[in-house]
Amino acid sequence: MSSKRASTAPAAPKPPTSLSPTLTIAEHASLVGSYLITLGANTVVHPRAKLNSTYGPITVGSNCIISERSMIGLQGRGADGEGVVIEDGVIVEVGATVESKVIGEGCVIEVNAKVGRGSLLGTHCKIGPLCEVAEDEVLPDYTVLFANGMRRIDNSGVEDLKLKMVARQIDVLRRLIPSNLTKFQ
Amino acid sequence: MSTFTPYTYFQCPCTDSSPPVRNIGSDSPTSIHSSSSEDEKAFDPRAPRANYSLYPLEHLLYCEDCHQIRCPRCVLDEIVTYYCPNCLFEVPSSTVKSEGTRCTRSCFQCPICIAPLSVSSLEAPPEGLGAEHASQGGPYVLNCPHCSWSSKEIGIQFDKPNGIFTQLSKIKNGGDPVITARERRKDREERSRDSAPGPVTDEDGVQDETVVKLDPNEVLDAESQFSNLKAFYQAQLAEASPANALGFSGGDYGYGSPGALSRIMGLYTGGTYADKKSKAKKGTMREAQNAFEGLKIVAPNSEDALIAKLQNEGWDATSSSLQRDEQSTHTPFISDLRPIAYLLRTKRSKRCKTCRHILSKPEAKIQTTRFRIRLVALNYIPSISIKPLQPLLSTQLQAPLVPMKPTQFLLTFKNPLFESVKVNIATPAQTPGRFASKITILCPQFEVGANTDAWEEALRDGSKGVEREKRRTKAEASEGQLQAEAGKVWERGRNWVSVVVEVIPASLKPSPDFLKTEAQRKLAEEGGEDDRVREDEDVVEIPVFVRVEWEADTGGEDGGLGKEKEGREKRELAYWCVLGVGRIG
Ligand SMILES: [Zn+2]
Ligand SMILES: [Zn+2]
Ligand SMILES: [Zn+2]
Ligand SMILES: [Zn+2]
Repeated sequence: MSSKRASTAPAAPKPPTSLSPTLTIAEHASLVGSYLITLGANTVVHPRAKLNSTYGPITVGSNCIISERSMIGLQGRGADGEGVVIEDGVIVEVGATVESKVIGEGCVIEVNAKVGRGSLLGTHCKIGPLCEVAEDEVLPDYTVLFANGMRRIDNSGVEDLKLKMVARQIDVLRRLIPSNLTKFQ
Repeated sequence: MSTFTPYTYFQCPCTDSSPPVRNIGSDSPTSIHSSSSEDEKAFDPRAPRANYSLYPLEHLLYCEDCHQIRCPRCVLDEIVTYYCPNCLFEVPSSTVKSEGTRCTRSCFQCPICIAPLSVSSLEAPPEGLGAEHASQGGPYVLNCPHCSWSSKEIGIQFDKPNGIFTQLSKIKNGGDPVITARERRKDREERSRDSAPGPVTDEDGVQDETVVKLDPNEVLDAESQFSNLKAFYQAQLAEASPANALGFSGGDYGYGSPGALSRIMGLYTGGTYADKKSKAKKGTMREAQNAFEGLKIVAPNSEDALIAKLQNEGWDATSSSLQRDEQSTHTPFISDLRPIAYLLRTKRSKRCKTCRHILSKPEAKIQTTRFRIRLVALNYIPSISIKPLQPLLSTQLQAPLVPMKPTQFLLTFKNPLFESVKVNIATPAQTPGRFASKITILCPQFEVGANTDAWEEALRDGSKGVEREKRRTKAEASEGQLQAEAGKVWERGRNWVSVVVEVIPASLKPSPDFLKTEAQRKLAEEGGEDDRVREDEDVVEIPVFVRVEWEADTGGEDGGLGKEKEGREKRELAYWCVLGVGRIG
């Protein structure tokens, strides 16, 4: 308990990290908290993305894109051992808030969307702009949330293609964003 | 609490011939005669008809030849161009007539969420050296970037990335090719050739025995059924009347002609109109007998498949009513939906209905948003803005009006003309409707300065005078504790004037029984009139009659010969406005 209390101290502590050498992380990204933050291979973290491990560990898989002003990690105290896991090939768009337990492979969290704490997203889900996933909600694979809370199951079967497109996007971003891995190690 | 923004609506005088009239004050029929004629004419913004004649000033045009306001009801629209809102291509009106009002290129909307669809390849993008220059191969699909819908879900793929409209029109949901109208016609021609030896054989059904590539029991979709039926009846008409051989040979044109109509009448009314020759030859028209002729037999178990699908796939597989509205055929399931081709838009010019002069004409080019001609009322008649006289705290801004407490509002008239104008305003003493608020305009007559160039004004010393005047009135105001003086303008600027109007909002509580008129009491007893406040009845709407007078140059249009006669002409414009000042709390 005492360690937790210490973590809420005003001076943002530098969190313990486990960073892949192929990670691209901008200097102005912000990693705060006291729990472990793990960032996988080929993942890109934009400037001003906020990863907050104050209330639980954060694990991001490989080939993910974490965009500007997005907030990853629990924003309030949760159950012990609760954390945020983002699997491979996930795109978190600008201004999105992710507090969910697990985000499945190939999901897209669109601009300013909110994924509530404790929720479980299957693989290849898409949360549309400004859409919200409630706390503890479980979304099956291929769920698409769009418009004002409408949802459907995507049967197009082009997820492999989409993963390839994410990889291409990462290729471009790696060239554009200067990485400063040492700052966060 | 609902928010309220003060508003001003203008009534177009084109409704003058039948103005919505309601006598004010009392419900008794005798008051119509007792009240003055002026009161009787007072415009009632709550009359049901008033909705159709009130517009914000920005929606109105002005005819320079009739010297009159023009609203959407008294202008004529003319279509300048048709264009697709997605690809911004102009569509010639001849194409619109033949192809319909949808974009026939590759512009589609998502049938699930109406977002624009994009064409993409199902192949992985080429990689390696020169990948940027290599083109992606097919097959292609339409996919929605918003909800991830893809035409693959309805089994539709395309060979080429362009001309999707024509490609789509040849594929059914599921990927089967559509038998086009032309193919059907070819097939019909073949059949009729085969059965040619006996032209009457079709009555005996011999024709059906000829070898054809189409199935006579084919389940037709709506479009092919229509084309089959149309072809069948055309053939019937052609056979039924030999006159066709002379004039119209079974084309589309025969139907509307008086001759054809009388023949059709004759066919159905027992032949009194039909000419005798054709009657002798043919008798009556027969009906379609098989799928080639457009006959669609509804099997008793035809809906079993639908019900089974509903049971298996459930609610999620059905389309919403909004999604169905966008489709041209009945689409009970998501899998029946088709991409929606973009509906074309138009650019229109507007003419005055009275004198046919053009009031508004957009640039024909689609990419430009400029206008060649645009005579908007905003440039001709003074605008009116409303604000409370007492400076309010920001938290109070939306505060409702207090019943029976006099509240003062500033009406600011701004003159867009280059001549100064004399303005007369008048209101009825009470607002019309069940809850009559008392209205007093403290200064009903005033002059508003010309809208001269602001810089020109600044260069002249006159501006100082205006400034001084403004300050003086302000000073007076502070001395008088914001007490408006009757007959005086509150504040004045270069081309604007503010006057004060006082409102005593009515109480929304029902008047006590002893104060009610006989008629009201009777109504209440019958239950016809209830005391509850109906929607928006608590909004104080003040009808204001505005008369604007100014002197204008007469020259210009009839210049030519009598240039020296360029004199001054008195102009007058009068119209009703409605001021929505606030909600009674
Ligand atoms: Zn009109
Ligand atoms: Zn188009
Ligand atoms: Zn869509
Ligand atoms: Zn006119």
